[in-house]
Amino acid sequence: MKNVLRFVLALAVAALGVWLWLVLFPSPEKVIGRQFEKLARAASIQSGEGNLPRMIAAQKVGDFFSTNVEINIDLPGRQQHATMSRDDIVQAVLAAQSAGGLTVKFPDINVMVGADKETAQADITVEARVPGEQDMMVQAMKFTLRKIDGKWLITRVQTVRTLS
Amino acid sequence: MIDHDQPTTRPGRARLGRWLRIAVIGRNPKITLARIVILVVTCVVVFKFVLLPIRVEGVSMLPAYKDKSVNFVNRLAYLRHGPRRGDVVGLRLGGTNVIYRAPGVMYMKRIVGLPGETVAFADGDLLINGTALDEPYVKGPCDWNCAPVTVGPNQYFVMGDNRSMPQDYHVFGKANKEQIVGKVLF
Repeated sequence: MKNVLRFVLALAVAALGVWLWLVLFPSPEKVIGRQFEKLARAASIQSGEGNLPRMIAAQKVGDFFSTNVEINIDLPGRQQHATMSRDDIVQAVLAAQSAGGLTVKFPDINVMVGADKETAQADITVEARVPGEQDMMVQAMKFTLRKIDGKWLITRVQTVRTLS
Repeated sequence: MIDHDQPTTRPGRARLGRWLRIAVIGRNPKITLARIVILVVTCVVVFKFVLLPIRVEGVSMLPAYKDKSVNFVNRLAYLRHGPRRGDVVGLRLGGTNVIYRAPGVMYMKRIVGLPGETVAFADGDLLINGTALDEPYVKGPCDWNCAPVTVGPNQYFVMGDNRSMPQDYHVFGKANKEQIVGKVLF
């Protein structure tokens, strides 16, 4: 009985150690995943928010992107292939939020870090909802990230066609 | 003062307490605990990996599947055979490199075209290899037109049941087999 207790205790200590290790030294995949969760929170805004909170939220969104971002949007009725600066992104977010509130979620985040550990690709499902509208917008997207000054920044955004 | 009720109420309370305990935690608490653990583990395994609970959003599958209705996706439906025409399936939007993980959002579509077939629309009629397909699940009027598309060897042609909505607002096309999460149960 004593041995069993010791074994269970050792297992619990080992599990705690592993958990602590993962909390203190998260994998790049985990870091990027959390970053996207923060991005979703920053991009979401309540319908009654004033201009200042909107501006702050848009600036926060901009901080997740590199100074120049390649945008490739290929949707029915809208095609855009351009390079945008961080300020352009902030303006685009402000424009999207101006219609009222906006709720953004990333329900599926799949991150693959490159062999060089400096680049990563994230396959993400974007779920956006405007208050008052019955239907939500769902779109699969691919984000390319690069580690710049110790921070993972988005360098490329492209839509993914789910059905060909 | 002598309370004459005492001898009768005390055993009554004790009996009630015992029955309450039996009703809540059972005659043998260890067995009850084991049952609870087994039940929780079974529920987690079943509803996380086998039968995925889903809530329908949108009108593209009307009238068979109404907006906000609840259903399940059976991930084991295609273990012994491939998807069949008419099956309503859950499709993952992206990230097919991690097919073991259940997606948070799925498209719900009906399989109308099988691998190798040619799918087209002519004045609202769905043509498979040039022949109109009988679709009892489509109720509204449809005027869609679409050039013939050949479905690849590992692909299925999927679309919604609600063809009375504009063609541009409707998501349909070829889906790879890896995108199919499972068959919608009901």
